[in-house]
Amino acid sequence: MISLDFLVTVATLALIYAMAAQLLNLEAGWGGMWDLGIAGLIGVGAYSYVLLTSPTDAFVPGLGLAFPLGMIGAGLITATVAVVIGWPALRLRGEYFLITTFAFAEILRQLIVINKDLTGGTFGLTGIARPWELQFTFEGYPYVRLGLTALLTLAIWLVCSRFASSAYGASLRAARDNEPLAMAMGKSIKTLRMSTYATVGLLCGLAVGPAYSWFLGAIVPSVFSANLTFTIWAGLVIGGLGSKLGPILGAALLTAVSELVRLVEVAPEHANLVSAIHPLLVGVLLIAVLRWRPDGLLSERGTFTRLRGRQGGRHAAPVAQASTAGTSATAARLEGERA
Amino acid sequence: MQNLLFGLLTGSVLAVAASGFALLRNTERFLHIAHGQFMALGALLALVLSPEIGAVAGIAVAVVATAALGVVCGKVLFDPVKHRGGNVLLFTSVGLAFVTYGAMIAIFGTTLRVSEIELGRARDVGPVSVAPGEVVILAITVVVVAGLWLFLGRTAMGRDIRAVASNRELAHVRGVAINRVSTTVWAVSSGLAAVGGIMSGVVGSVTTESGWGYILLVLAAAVLGGIGNILGVIGAALLLGVVMDMSALVIDTSYRPVVAFALLIAVLLVRPQGLFSFHARKEVAA
Repeated sequence: MISLDFLVTVATLALIYAMAAQLLNLEAGWGGMWDLGIAGLIGVGAYSYVLLTSPTDAFVPGLGLAFPLGMIGAGLITATVAVVIGWPALRLRGEYFLITTFAFAEILRQLIVINKDLTGGTFGLTGIARPWELQFTFEGYPYVRLGLTALLTLAIWLVCSRFASSAYGASLRAARDNEPLAMAMGKSIKTLRMSTYATVGLLCGLAVGPAYSWFLGAIVPSVFSANLTFTIWAGLVIGGLGSKLGPILGAALLTAVSELVRLVEVAPEHANLVSAIHPLLVGVLLIAVLRWRPDGLLSERGTFTRLRGRQGGRHAAPVAQASTAGTSATAARLEGERA
Repeated sequence: MQNLLFGLLTGSVLAVAASGFALLRNTERFLHIAHGQFMALGALLALVLSPEIGAVAGIAVAVVATAALGVVCGKVLFDPVKHRGGNVLLFTSVGLAFVTYGAMIAIFGTTLRVSEIELGRARDVGPVSVAPGEVVILAITVVVVAGLWLFLGRTAMGRDIRAVASNRELAHVRGVAINRVSTTVWAVSSGLAAVGGIMSGVVGSVTTESGWGYILLVLAAAVLGGIGNILGVIGAALLLGVVMDMSALVIDTSYRPVVAFALLIAVLLVRPQGLFSFHARKEVAA
């Protein structure tokens, strides 16, 4: 039977994935930066937050800061790491950017494993300081956590919405679809991409990392492996790359479907089957959506047609470019429609 | 010297797997993320079958089964979305990686498996001690690489594959049987993944989790070599293996993967066209 507690847990997890998928949408969907290293950034955010806030006398000592300071600190640290990764990685494009970020995420994870004294190694960190945990009862706290996560998700949603309707966002999408043209119009593409990547890092550290650590209660390096990156990507692609609501819908759908499976009662000897179902479902959903709805459930066109309608064609130019440019993303989409 | 040998072994495993990856990338034009899972699948199949039907038969069945699976996946999953470009193919491959990973957990369980095939007692040859099994693995690598080289260079099918790799449309217009090329490439590539996976399973151990680690190293080797050039990829794989294991002499062994990926990033920045590629790789640098 589905209990309320279970629903609250699933909703919290869905919101965390929704936050990550929105940030990924910001850089990959609109910025055209296909990042396979987002798990690394989330990992840095989570570890920085936990180390900044956990008490100084813990098994792995932290700094014992208050949680808002911890979140801000984690955001700044992760943004710095994003700049360090972005500086070399953004000089490459397409597949090579993707591979470089993938490699950086793995390096970050290995460094966390290796520096045992600082991070607890493979045993990870426990005793995570969650905001206002002591002020509430054990049964009541999940609701508080859900509320906090929802607030953070709302904040990221507002940032992304603002971004979608801004000239900055339009320039970024123009640079994605036709780089020489965007350059010719006087946009500094390097700065544009770098600041976007740093913003994604900042928000990963400020919101996603801490929220994920509150949810997990203890963090280990293996959580932040390629598996997490691909799960977030799957949510984004299923929901609709480039659409504003798509990442939220995709992440919610993916989490709901894969968590509800846990409710099926099985004999202990079939425990393997249960842990196999999550990746199986993610994979099948991803393949099926790409096959029959390659734009995802909601499309970029939908989002920006609505926005344009509301704002009287102010952003018509970049979108018009998008439909004529012969570059990969748009061309692939047009191909899909013709077929 | 001992580390050099270990490095060559690691490199051999990578070379076999990465050449399959590069072959597929060149003709089908996408990064096959599920390649790592196919390696793990081949290795697990061989480990499970070997005690039942003998080592050689087990390995042969595992390789053939993985190759057949590759062909079926290519036809059923990838061909229908081919016209939508590399990114859709890439994420279909991510989907396939998840499905394969889930299926492996369901079938084989998550326990760590160590191969029952013994490498034999190590003997001292000059400054290094070599086990007969290790020599066999190096020999298999040489045979596989030479076979691939002859296949691509000397047979009609190999010529067709190279034609499709260099210009798909032109090859099609000139009457190359694109579908047959695609089928062959899927079979060869998945078969090579299985061989590489089995070799790594024999040298070390394998779990259902191994695939995610394999694909990172395969990607690194493929990019280091300059994907278009199969021999370059093989050279880069050997170099990567040697550098990883030689680095153990200088710094702690736990830094092995970090060294590999740092090397990858450094090469991408200095020589984006790859170590062994002589044509500028125009699509890389911004």
